[in-house]
Amino acid sequence: MQPPISRHHLACILAEADVAAHRLHRRLCGPAADLDDLRQDLLIDLICRLPAFDASRGSIGAFAGIVLRNQASRIALKHHRDRCSRVGALVSLDAPFGPGATDTLGETLSQSDGLATWHGQDGDEFARTDLRRDLSRVLGQLAPAARIFCAALGQCALRDLVARGVGSRSALYRRTSELRLDLTARGLGPAWDGFPAA
Amino acid sequence: MLMKHTAFTNARAPHPISEIEFCGWVGQAVPGDRLEYHRGFLVLDAFPVISKLADPDRKRLALLGTRAFWAAEASLVHLVQERIGPDHFAYIAIARPKPKAAAVSLSALLLAEQQAA
Repeated sequence: MQPPISRHHLACILAEADVAAHRLHRRLCGPAADLDDLRQDLLIDLICRLPAFDASRGSIGAFAGIVLRNQASRIALKHHRDRCSRVGALVSLDAPFGPGATDTLGETLSQSDGLATWHGQDGDEFARTDLRRDLSRVLGQLAPAARIFCAALGQCALRDLVARGVGSRSALYRRTSELRLDLTARGLGPAWDGFPAA
Repeated sequence: MLMKHTAFTNARAPHPISEIEFCGWVGQAVPGDRLEYHRGFLVLDAFPVISKLADPDRKRLALLGTRAFWAAEASLVHLVQERIGPDHFAYIAIARPKPKAAAVSLSALLLAEQQAA
């Protein structure tokens, strides 16, 4: 019969198993609930191998560390194989895109395919540059007074302009309406193709 | 020497158009595009007492006529008339090349406005 394990050895084994389980859990990127299962699997394997421990060859901590590392590798490989069989090969942005390709997957994706676009943020730098150039061109064509009014509307709301004494409310609304028509005629606004009359 | 022909686009709105629709056409048109924005006798059709149009339509036409004149003054279109019959004309806007002007930086404009406020 095997001698009972000492309290010191037991504490050492549990601590090593905790560390190994956390490390493996991080590696597998699994859900939080998997942590206890992994710890259990590692501990069972370690307890089964405890009879092979020889105190003359090293400490219990070193023995547990080696056994846990090997078992963690086996669990990770099994997990990887399962995942491949279920959802296909893992994809990395840094991996070449397709066999024989030199470009990585990350290089073949456009900004509009990016995560930011999926979350509603406009990531198209080219469209933004085009818009800025269009704005500069149209602003150059506006009359100086309209240009200043346009800039003022870019800074604050119409009611703030009324409060600043720029003009009466009705006059400012009339100017805004004029500005809208002016900008539309110069290409910044609703296009003809969008109207039912087209 | 080969003559270069340009394909001009003629458009006639299926129903009366408004100011903003006219401006939308001007903004999108390439030089040479034509839009018939009214058919009839514009001055009479837009005049309150003489016009046979309903009041909202008459006001819309008056605004449209003014806007077309504004676009011509702004060098965006040419305005021409084609005689269809006695006292009956097609009023046509022909898109002109967009006038060139020095570009103005929006950021600089906003900054100046911020400093002025």
